[in-house]
Amino acid sequence: MDIFQSPEFLSRLQFAFLAMFHILWPPLTVGLAIIILGLETTWLKTKNIFYYHQTRFWIRIFMINFGVGVISGIPMEFAFGTNWGPFSIASGDFFGNILGFETAMAFMLEAGFLGIMLFGWNRVSGGMHLFATSMVVLGSTLSVFWIMVANSWMQTPSGVEYINGKFIITDYLAAVFNPDLAHGFWHMFIACIELSLVVVAGISAYYLLKQREIDFFLPSFKIAVLALVFITPLQILIGDSAGGALAHTQPAKLAAIESHWETNPPGKGASWAVLAIPDAENQRNLWELTIPNALSLIVTHSLTGTVVGLREFKPEDQPPIWIPFYAFRLMLAAGIFIAFMAMWTAWLLWRKKQQMSHENISQNTWLLRGWILAIPAAYLAVEMGWLVREIGRQPWIVYGMMRTQHGVSELPLATVQWSLLSFFVFYLAIGIAAFYFIRHVLRQGPAYEAAPKSIKNKDRPMSSMNDGGY
Amino acid sequence: MDAFTFADTHFLLASIWFAIIGLFLIFYVVLDGFDLGMGILSLAAPSEQYRGAMMSSIGSIWDANETWLVIVGGTLFGAFPLVYGTVLHGLYIPITLMLLGFMLRGVSFEFYVLSSRKKLWGTAFGLGSLLAVIAQGFALGGLLNGMKIENGLFVGGVFDWFSPFSIMVVIGVIAGYSVLGANYMIMKFTGKLQQHAYARSKVLSFIMLVAAGIVTVWTPLQYPSIFERWFALPNFFAFALLPLAALFSFFMLFKALQQRAEHAPFIWSLLIFFFSFIGLAATWFPYIVPGVITIEEAAAPANTLIFMLLGIGMLIPVMIAYNVYQYSVFSGKIDPDAPLNHE
Repeated sequence: MDIFQSPEFLSRLQFAFLAMFHILWPPLTVGLAIIILGLETTWLKTKNIFYYHQTRFWIRIFMINFGVGVISGIPMEFAFGTNWGPFSIASGDFFGNILGFETAMAFMLEAGFLGIMLFGWNRVSGGMHLFATSMVVLGSTLSVFWIMVANSWMQTPSGVEYINGKFIITDYLAAVFNPDLAHGFWHMFIACIELSLVVVAGISAYYLLKQREIDFFLPSFKIAVLALVFITPLQILIGDSAGGALAHTQPAKLAAIESHWETNPPGKGASWAVLAIPDAENQRNLWELTIPNALSLIVTHSLTGTVVGLREFKPEDQPPIWIPFYAFRLMLAAGIFIAFMAMWTAWLLWRKKQQMSHENISQNTWLLRGWILAIPAAYLAVEMGWLVREIGRQPWIVYGMMRTQHGVSELPLATVQWSLLSFFVFYLAIGIAAFYFIRHVLRQGPAYEAAPKSIKNKDRPMSSMNDGGY
Repeated sequence: MDAFTFADTHFLLASIWFAIIGLFLIFYVVLDGFDLGMGILSLAAPSEQYRGAMMSSIGSIWDANETWLVIVGGTLFGAFPLVYGTVLHGLYIPITLMLLGFMLRGVSFEFYVLSSRKKLWGTAFGLGSLLAVIAQGFALGGLLNGMKIENGLFVGGVFDWFSPFSIMVVIGVIAGYSVLGANYMIMKFTGKLQQHAYARSKVLSFIMLVAAGIVTVWTPLQYPSIFERWFALPNFFAFALLPLAALFSFFMLFKALQQRAEHAPFIWSLLIFFFSFIGLAATWFPYIVPGVITIEEAAAPANTLIFMLLGIGMLIPVMIAYNVYQYSVFSGKIDPDAPLNHE
């Protein structure tokens, strides 16, 4: 295909690949760190060793996940310089500054306390260890904040003027707190928490289904599900609000997400295409399955509100349609599926106590399988969400100001082919290995480590097996 | 402030950022230098158990060490966007190789502990470290070679970094990092593994001395402007101080190794890196890309530099403090002959 002969397209593909691989890991790092902080705090408060064992078990999964997240994040930082040199030079005054903040305020904070969190159990006091864990939480959360500042500025650039191919900062705070930041940050941050809760619930369900360690995993299952009852609707609400904001900030992206070609006339509602076959060449849908007035209702919260169609934009200013349209629907379906699972399970826990008891929980085959399936669904939602966000921004690298084609470094075709292929092979190997080792940890199950000597626990284990941070 | 014009202020800010990024880079080079160097040495570890001890001795700190490079990248991007967008573009292949090397060694750390196939992941760790170091050598060599940059864009070829000079730099960097690694092992271990490290350090220090000497002589021969700068009086006396200090450090390093000192070798090797680094910076200042771009041309405008100074400058002591704390938590000797010493 012709596009594979274009270094620009390959640079885009490479960045997309780096980003799509990278985003598989940090959400669990961020969310699981918060969950671990909660467990560790509870342990130190109650001195109940159960919470210590919970903490240690989830840290083992956290550790594998964290490592891959860190090393797959570093190439993204450098990719701006290597493949997107002109963009880096044009936007460095702001964008580079923000990435600098992220590295010094967030990334280093995380790394500076991670060693203690993972290996320091018997070297520091309980309180100091808790402090280290909370610094890892703070670092990873700040990291989400600064990365979303940088990314949302590319979506809704403000506080800058684009003069002679360079972004000049006119209002620093306006650039940081750009219109998309609140939605972008909260949608991503809640996604991290939701995905991590789903992973905890799903892994717990896996053990319950196998009738292994029920004492250990039924409580974690219940807690995760209960939290998801509140988190999943919140996430859907934030998503809805983000979609509504797009109508003002990035109308072309919104129209592409919905494959909505013609602006609805005043007084007449826009219909929502559940499914469609978009035809960009003729600026229409070849086929569509629609719900009348639904698009106006979703976007403007009124039955006849105006939603700008794609035809208002010149074809060269329109984003691609297929990926944003279907990626959005997959994300939505995954989000609704997880919300449904949470509600269903919560209802069973409330009304069918017998069925959900220690003795009978493993009999709920379909429920537990559903939770295992929710894990890939949560990852799918994150991936699809980013596809919508980034492909929907095209053809701009900085929305409405700088085109993607003007941001790319001029590189020989063979060089980009080589690097893309290398990253692909390495990531494939790392991904498979990480999956294998997480499975290995799951097979081993909780290790019931003896508690650090400095903490007196109420409930000592029968034997002190297997002391030691690995 | 009255005496300063606007341009002076900008130059001052740019110089401050040049110094800060230089400081971050020194932190990176010596800290990740010793764990990368130990990675290279692990390829020739006397036994699998010793390799395990070497790897686990840096398990709690390698991530923080590597993070200094991430900070160098982030601050360079913000403070000197022109350098970020041109130099990384020009060094595309070495940078990509370095990243691939980082990945290989980073995951191998974790998988080594979890896997029963120690040899596979141990070798992957060593090769990843070696690849990253070679790539860094070529990147430095390529930068010192001079880069073709016109109108704010890199216009050279993708293999410009490859030259006899850069190969010499690569040899120096491999030897230098390995010396740091070996001297760290002397400090950290006891017994046979420590003796092994003494032997390695001696040979590698000699190679490092020769390579550093060749690079130092080669540079002024390559650039007449540097020749004039170094050998013009009275500059000569100032510039001569740095190689003399480095030479003295080499002498003390050999002496410390001879006397079987445990901490001194590491400290002297740190000083060698420090003097070499200052020498490089002093040689090229105010250029940030040798012979092509000055720090003032490359620097972001004053408001960005001030914002970054407020946001990051204040954090420097904090970052140093918690890194030192993490080191102190994991300080102390390791007996590599003790069974199951996995921490």
